[in-house]
Amino acid sequence: MSELHIRHLYHRYGITEVLADVGLDLYAGETLALVGPSGCGKSTLLHIVAGLLTPSEVVMQSTFRGVACVFQEPRLMPWKNAADNITLGLKALGVPKAARQRQAISLAERMGLSVEDLGKYPHELSGGMQSRVSLARALAINPDLLLLDEPFSALDIGLKGELYRQLEDQVHRHGTAVLMITHDLMEAVRLADRILMMVPAPGRMVYEFTLQQPQAERSSNWVYQTTAELMQVNEVRIGFGLAEGELPVQSSHGHAQHSGCAV
Amino acid sequence: MTLFLRPVRKALGATLAYLWSGWGAVASILLFCALWEFGGRVYGDLVLPGPVATLQQLSSMFESGQALPELIISARRTLYGLGLALGIGTLLGLLAGRSLTAAMMSRPLVTLLLGMPPIAWLVLAMLWFGMGDATPVFTVFIACFPIAFAGAMQGGRTLDNKLKDVALAYRLPWRMVLTDVYLPHITSYLFPAWITALGTSWKVVVMAELLTTVDGVGAALAVSRAQLDTASSLGWIVAVLGLLLALEYLLLEPIKRRVERWRTEPGP
Repeated sequence: MSELHIRHLYHRYGITEVLADVGLDLYAGETLALVGPSGCGKSTLLHIVAGLLTPSEVVMQSTFRGVACVFQEPRLMPWKNAADNITLGLKALGVPKAARQRQAISLAERMGLSVEDLGKYPHELSGGMQSRVSLARALAINPDLLLLDEPFSALDIGLKGELYRQLEDQVHRHGTAVLMITHDLMEAVRLADRILMMVPAPGRMVYEFTLQQPQAERSSNWVYQTTAELMQVNEVRIGFGLAEGELPVQSSHGHAQHSGCAV
Repeated sequence: MTLFLRPVRKALGATLAYLWSGWGAVASILLFCALWEFGGRVYGDLVLPGPVATLQQLSSMFESGQALPELIISARRTLYGLGLALGIGTLLGLLAGRSLTAAMMSRPLVTLLLGMPPIAWLVLAMLWFGMGDATPVFTVFIACFPIAFAGAMQGGRTLDNKLKDVALAYRLPWRMVLTDVYLPHITSYLFPAWITALGTSWKVVVMAELLTTVDGVGAALAVSRAQLDTASSLGWIVAVLGLLLALEYLLLEPIKRRVERWRTEPGP
């Protein structure tokens, strides 16, 4: 079974410490949500997992093979039509053109895009369609780890619901692990198996919340109730600035460096 | 099926629209000819022969076999100089665009090169290379090089870091990064620069020939000037301009539209 373990992750931009002693575990088929206010280092953490950034210090072990990333904005290549954007990752893997076309058509169908839309360039697509193409591009390579950086934040409720279902379907069918960033606690409660609360200055984990209820049995009512419960937690209130208070910076162990540390 | 028919239909439509848009250009050129004719009537044939007289002179120059060889000689020099400038300028520009230091260092140099009048280079070239082919070729090269260089460098510098991240996240091999990310972006900067360079190259080659060589359009212009033959001078000018317009609007512009259709196509 594929898994990702991170221990003692530190990252600095210049002299600013953006992540301090961050650790997490993620297993295949599991959805982990990172929540927290802006500037708490969520995106930095995701970029490190995606391999786009090299952290200052880390002990990291990952057995995930196919990693796909959905960014906050769709980030489509403006010179490629929707079909070629969706199959970008497949082309990188050396999949022949005919097979790529077939994949694009089947994915477009799953995402509610018409065959007509596949021939369009990004500037001809609406924002919602661009987001679907962006998610389709990630699902195209059938990843075992999917990284989501607030991909749903700019979408309307209906479209969000539709893409949530696609995501749940992917996790259910392929056992894909999901690491997602969100501002939206309700989104986290609805999709995640575990929620990790992060706070800034320096970016660190302060609270972990496990959701036992299976995905299929999460009604809207349950989501509202659980979110309300979560909002009562002291760390969450302080973290989002809803209550006064300090969250102490804790060190997991005494020594500063990773001498002898292993996952 | 529609997926594959759509681009074909779009390409056809774009070509037709492009040809149709040519009418505006033709109308504006004809208007210019009317003004020219008017000037010709006012000042007389010796000072300013009208467009009809000029075209007649030009066609007689072609018939006598005088025009074509000179045009070919000039075109060859332009092609060599321009080809070298575009090749080397684009390559070095792309390399400079890769690094911030190189871009910062080369910016003032580009300004310097662009600001230096071609006639100054021509004087130097005459001293260095004498009166042969090398002088016009070098002058064209040095006049067009900074244009191509600056275009390529801008293209390399302005690529969105977010798209580079996408390329990295989806593990695109380096060859795909080049063909699927860098080149399409850079082409949109290169084409306008190349078209500007083309216009510059023709102007510079005629000027260089006028002063240095014994053959080519420039040299022929010098002869017609010495003979006070205004009609022939205008004939040469029209021939050069005609070639330039044909190259730009029949070759480069359609290619540009083709490679940049992701940018120019209007939304539904």
